[in-house]
Amino acid sequence: MTPGISREDGQLKIRIMKGMELTVRETLGLVAGLVILFNLPTITTLAGDLPIRQRPIYRGIVFGLAAVGLNLLLRHSELVSFGHAAFFGTGAYTVAVLVSDYQVKSATVLLVAAIVAATLMAALIGYFTLPHTGLYFALITLAFGQLLFSIVKGQRALGGTDGISVRTGEAGVTILEQFPTLFGIQLTGQEVPNTILLWFTLVVVIISMLVMYRIVKSPFGRALDAIGQERTRARFLGLPVKRYVWAAFIISGIYGGIGGGLFALYFRSVAPGETLQVFVSGDILYMAILGGFGTLTGPLIGGIVLETLANIANEVVFTGPAGETQMGRFITGAVLLLIVFVFPKGIVGSLKPGGRVFEGAKTLKNDPTVAGPWFRQFGQVTVEAAKRSVKNVRYLLFGVK
Amino acid sequence: MLEADGLKKSFGNIVATDDVSVQFGKEDGEMVFIVGPNGAGKSTLVNLLTGLLEPDEGAVTLDGQDITTMRADQRVHEGLVRSFQVVKVFEEMTVRENIRTALLIKRKKTGGLGPRAIWEGLFSLDDEHEAIERTIDDLVEQFRLDDVEEAIAEELPHGDRKLLDVAMSFALDPNYLLLDEPTSGVSAQETDYVIETIVEVSESQNVTTVTIEHDMDLVKNHADRVIALHQGSVHGEGPPTMLETDQELRRLLLGVEE
Repeated sequence: MTPGISREDGQLKIRIMKGMELTVRETLGLVAGLVILFNLPTITTLAGDLPIRQRPIYRGIVFGLAAVGLNLLLRHSELVSFGHAAFFGTGAYTVAVLVSDYQVKSATVLLVAAIVAATLMAALIGYFTLPHTGLYFALITLAFGQLLFSIVKGQRALGGTDGISVRTGEAGVTILEQFPTLFGIQLTGQEVPNTILLWFTLVVVIISMLVMYRIVKSPFGRALDAIGQERTRARFLGLPVKRYVWAAFIISGIYGGIGGGLFALYFRSVAPGETLQVFVSGDILYMAILGGFGTLTGPLIGGIVLETLANIANEVVFTGPAGETQMGRFITGAVLLLIVFVFPKGIVGSLKPGGRVFEGAKTLKNDPTVAGPWFRQFGQVTVEAAKRSVKNVRYLLFGVK
Repeated sequence: MLEADGLKKSFGNIVATDDVSVQFGKEDGEMVFIVGPNGAGKSTLVNLLTGLLEPDEGAVTLDGQDITTMRADQRVHEGLVRSFQVVKVFEEMTVRENIRTALLIKRKKTGGLGPRAIWEGLFSLDDEHEAIERTIDDLVEQFRLDDVEEAIAEELPHGDRKLLDVAMSFALDPNYLLLDEPTSGVSAQETDYVIETIVEVSESQNVTTVTIEHDMDLVKNHADRVIALHQGSVHGEGPPTMLETDQELRRLLLGVEE
């Protein structure tokens, strides 16, 4: 089937490719998002002092891509991974090591290597998680993530806690000439190469998203849904459950590897704290929840929003008796709580039919007077929640009596 | 022919089945009921036959092939299908989607067993769409689920959930169907309806159906053959009239002294 426009149940549908149809609203959102992302260099220049920066948004894109991968397990097989940083880190370190130790300079080759390494790592870790679900699955992924973090941190060859720079270190050439190249352009971190790399990244992301769309809509995706909802039944309908979960785990890891590889190319240095630590895994999971793990694009958008938010929030400093405290984690944590309690479907999920924002806006349009009771209800719920937390803290401090 | 040959399985000190040898299956299918008091080893026997458990001793053969060590999902593709005492359906899917999932798994492409099958399953969209939808129509009608075909599974009444569970098993086109208490938890009014539907479809498709059942009236009305288990061993097997004539069995099953 070729791209085109069709009308179904009075609703206009825009067909991008076989099996992929979007509503007008979705298409507009997609086009607007792509226009913004591709023009990011111009927008950040125009934004001046406004807190829109290319670096956090790029971070958001690459970590968001890892979150899209994580979401394959989370949404479809209902498996929560707390160790996804392992694959992100594997991708990032593969690029860094190949550049610094083996003088590989082609960005495309480096990215392919990152994918291969992430595949192998995911196949290995995935194999050990196979018999487990729920808490044990989460703990095993967490343990492997931490294991990898400790190993890398302790290796002098990998730069320990400081990590490694993504440049060849060749003698007789300037530092700028030591960076990898993309289509003949040296990725020096200056404006023009950064723009080229951003565009390349966006193309990679678009392809990855299309592939993920196909995966989740294919019989394989349906099989994963079945496994997530009733694993034993799926097995006794004749599905080799473990093989399917393993395959999903590997695919999911590959997305992390691509994200990590792109991260290394853009930021030109890789350290364990930024790519492998348990908090990174937590952030990747957070991105999926923030953006809406019931959706395809949600984790990516969640990534961009979280990183931008964290960048702004980190500039808020609280000065207390113990000195100055950066409020970044506090603010992003509060936002996560808000999302979980008020918009459990996340940003994208809430904007879709059935989501809280979408349905709320529809109700409000039909009858604007409902706003009053909503505020009252929100107030009541907040007071109730506050009371309950005070009670819980009291119990924690003084015991049940 | 599905055969259990000297199956033995213990859990710690408890012997669940002890040297159980039974055979199921005729050319045109048969309705076999397994009866016995709680703890007789009925569910364990079904679990051993279908690969949920591995026996400590003994063998399972299917149409002459030894399947004792075959994986559970592979047995399904050999025509050996089961359901569970507790309804196991895909709760977030509609009735039609549940059956569609079963049919897609049955297809070689998604249900196949090698890496190649996963690859094919990954990149072939539902091209056999039409044929699959027609099969769903048939099954929904046979199991009288037409009224609720677009309902989400978890919102169905219990009887319909049981029927959906069995319909999914039939979607796999089984030669041997093992049902673990298909009427458990179903209200008295719905029980007849559920079991009659199962019998009707089994007979029309010549499926050998092995059912664990506690309701002796149902067994008497529908069984071709009854197998009675007691304390992990076969107490006896024969026609349903055995339930009337075997006083020892009556005492075990009903606690009746006559």
